[in-house]
Amino acid sequence: MRRIVARLSPLLVIGTWLLMACGAPTSSTTGTGATTSSTSSDTTTPATMTTTGGGATASSATTTEGGTTTNSATTTGGTTALSGDPVPLGVAVAETSNTAALGQEQVIGVTIAEKYFNDHGGINGRPLKIIRQDTAGDENGAINAFNALINQSKVLGIVGPTLSQQAFAADKIADTAKVPVVGPSNTAKGIPQIGPYVARVSAPVAVVAPNAVKAALKQNPQIKKVAVLFAQNDAFSKSETGTFQQTITKTAGLQLLPVQTFQTTDTDFTSQATSVLNQNPDLVIISGLAVDGGNLVKQLRELGYKGLIIGGNGFNTPNIYPVCKAQCDGLLIAQAYSYELVTPVNTDFRKSYQDLQKREPGQLAAQAFAGVQVFVEAMREVDKATPLKGLSVEAARTAINDQLLKGKYQTPLGPISFTPEGEVIQNDFYVAQVKMNADGATGKFVLLK
Amino acid sequence: MAVFFATYGSLIVAMLLAAMLALSLYLPLLAGQLSLASPGFYALGGYVAAIISTRVVPFDSGAQAYIWRMGTHEVARFSGPLYPVSLLIVEMLVAGVLSAVLAIVLGLPALRLRGIYLLLATIAFVQILQVVTQVLDLTGGAIGIFNIPQPFASQLGYAWVVVPLLLLSAGFVYRLERIRIGRAFTAIREDELAAAAMGINLAYHKVLAFTMGAVLAGIVGVISAHSINTWNSRQGTFDAGITYLAFVLIGGSRTFLGPIIGGIVLYALPEVLRGLAAIPGLPLALAQLLKDGRLIMYGLLLVLGTIFFPQGLIRPNLFRHRTVEATPRKIEQQ
Repeated sequence: MRRIVARLSPLLVIGTWLLMACGAPTSSTTGTGATTSSTSSDTTTPATMTTTGGGATASSATTTEGGTTTNSATTTGGTTALSGDPVPLGVAVAETSNTAALGQEQVIGVTIAEKYFNDHGGINGRPLKIIRQDTAGDENGAINAFNALINQSKVLGIVGPTLSQQAFAADKIADTAKVPVVGPSNTAKGIPQIGPYVARVSAPVAVVAPNAVKAALKQNPQIKKVAVLFAQNDAFSKSETGTFQQTITKTAGLQLLPVQTFQTTDTDFTSQATSVLNQNPDLVIISGLAVDGGNLVKQLRELGYKGLIIGGNGFNTPNIYPVCKAQCDGLLIAQAYSYELVTPVNTDFRKSYQDLQKREPGQLAAQAFAGVQVFVEAMREVDKATPLKGLSVEAARTAINDQLLKGKYQTPLGPISFTPEGEVIQNDFYVAQVKMNADGATGKFVLLK
Repeated sequence: MAVFFATYGSLIVAMLLAAMLALSLYLPLLAGQLSLASPGFYALGGYVAAIISTRVVPFDSGAQAYIWRMGTHEVARFSGPLYPVSLLIVEMLVAGVLSAVLAIVLGLPALRLRGIYLLLATIAFVQILQVVTQVLDLTGGAIGIFNIPQPFASQLGYAWVVVPLLLLSAGFVYRLERIRIGRAFTAIREDELAAAAMGINLAYHKVLAFTMGAVLAGIVGVISAHSINTWNSRQGTFDAGITYLAFVLIGGSRTFLGPIIGGIVLYALPEVLRGLAAIPGLPLALAQLLKDGRLIMYGLLLVLGTIFFPQGLIRPNLFRHRTVEATPRKIEQQ
C-alpha cells in the first residue's frame, strides 16, 4: 500500500496543483471579475479614454497611461457591483478546429469592432473590453467557453458561437444563466426560440435565399427546369436547400428536377454533374461551401453546362475565386452582407478591414462586427438610464437584453432590429454576380440592383 | 466554490463521460480487439435519447407536462418542466439493448477480421452510421435534433446519474478482469491460438467483449445527448474515436483504471490550460500562450506521454504488491 501511495504521489501533486489552478480565479472574482490582466487603471475621464482607444489592443490599455499616476480601481464596494472599468463583453467563436476558417473571420470582425467603438466613445466614456474564449468546433467546447465567460469573466453579454449546432448546445446555458447572447453566424431554424436571452444578427437562410432566384428569373425569364444540389453533411446547406426548393416549386412555380447530394469533403462531382446535365436544366442551384461548391461549378462548366448557376451563402466569400477560377464568372450569389454598401459605418468597417487584411471583408466579419455593435449600443442606452456601474452584473445583463431587443441599429449589414423573440429583422439583402478578371484568378462581386 | 461548480459543472460531467467512453473502448481491447466502433454506438445512444425525449415523449407546453401518446391514447404523463429521470433510465435501457443487438449483428462477421482489418471495418461502421443519420429525416439530417429536455436543474445534476454509472461500470470491469470470462479475454489477447487450444470459444468471447463495450457507449450517448442539449451527426465521429483511443493508450491499456484516469485527465487538460490562463497576475504573453496555444500544448503532452509512458500512465505493476500475492492462490484453487 505504501508503495502505491509513493508511486501515485507525483500524480496527486500534479493533480492538486491543477485543481488549485482551476479554482484560483474563482476565489478572486468577487471584486474584479471582469479584468483578467489585473491592474485596471481608472480611465473614466474622456481624456484618458482616447489613449486607451488608440491602443491597438485592449491589453495595451493598462500601460498607455503616459506619465499620469495610476490609482488602482480594483477595490469596489459590493460583492457583485461592477468594477469601474472596462465593460466586459464575451466573444466565443471557433478559433481552432476545422471550423476555424469561419471563426478567424469573426475574430477579425470583433477586433475591428472593439477598436472602432472605443474610438467612438466606448460605453459612454468607459472602454469596452472584448474577452475571447475559443469554442473549437464542437458542442462541448462551446459549452465550456460560455461557462468560463459567464462565471469567471462575468461578461455582460456574449457574441457567439460560430455554428448553429453549437448554438443549440451553448445558448441554453447562457439563457439559463440569464446572459444575453447574440449569434453572429447561426442561421438554422429555431435559434432565437431557444430562450428569451438568445438573439441573432445573422438572417436565417429562409429570408436570404429566395432573392437569388428572383434575380435569376430577371436575367433569364425563360427558366423552366431547375436542378438543385446540396452538401448533405453541412447543416447550413441542408436548411438552405429546403428554402431554395420551396421557392422554386411554391413561389416561382418552376419544375424541380430530382435533387442531387454531395459531401463537403468530396472533390469529384462528375456523377452529379453528368446526371444534372442529362436532365437539361435552365438553372442550377448549389448549396455547399466554398471549396466543394466551387469545384462543382467548375466541373459543371467543364462538362458543358451553359445556363445560370446560383450559389448559396457558402459561396459568399472571395475564397471561391482560386477554386473555380474563370468558370466562377456569372455565378449568382445571395448575400446578407455586401461590402459595396455605402453607409458611414460600413465605409469605416470596410476600410479598417482592408487595412488589416489587404482584402475585402466578408459576411462573417461584418456580422460579428454587428453582433458587438448591438451590444455596445444597448449598453450605452442602459448606461444612460441607470449607470452600469451601479447595477449588479445580473441586473445589467437583464437590462441589456431588454434594451437590445428594443433598439434599431445602423450596422455594416444595413439597418437591423429584432423581433421580441430575438430574430433579426434585416431590410437589405443583396444579390451579387461574380465577374472574373481576364487573368482568371481574381474577380469581384458585382451587386445587382 | 459555487462559481467553480457553475463554471466546471458541465466539464466534470463530460470528463466522467469521457472516462466511460474510454472504458467502452478498453473492453474489446481487453480481448485484444482494436475496435473504433464505440463512437458509433455513442451516436446511436444519443439519437435514441434525442428521439424519445423530443418525439415520443414531447413536452406539452399547454399541460406543462411530458406526455407519451400512442396515437390518441395517452400512455403516461409526467408533469413539471424537468424531464423525468425515470424516462432517462428507460432511454438508457433502450439504448443499451439496441446497442447490444446491433453489436452482435455487427460483431459476428466483423470479428472474423483481425487487427487492422477489424479496425477498418469498425471505422466503416461509424462512417455508415454518420451518413445514414445525415440522410434520415427522423434524425434531423445535418442539423440534428435540438432542444433536448433537461432532467436536472443544473449541469452538475447529471453527476447523480454519471457518478453511480461510472462506479458501476468500473466495478463491473474490475470484477470482470478477475473472473473466468475476463481471464479468457486476456488469454485471447495474449495468444489467440493458444487460447483456442485451451478450449476458449474465440467467437463467443470476442463478440461478448465487443458487445459490452457497445452497450456502455450507447448508455453514455444517452446522458451526453441530454447534457449537451442537442444531437447531430457531428457527434461520435471517427475523430472522436481517435480521441478515446488516446485516452486508453495514454491512460494505460492493461488495467481498467488506465482508461478511466486517461479519460478524465486528458479530457480536462485543454480546459485546465484555459483555466490557468485566467489566473490573475500572470504575464500577458504566458496567459495568451495558455489560452490560444492550449491545443498545441495538449498535443505536445500527448506526444511526450507516448514517449515517456509507452505503456500508459497507469500500469498494472503500480499495484504489483497485491497481484503478486493474489495470483498464486487463485491458480492453486483452479
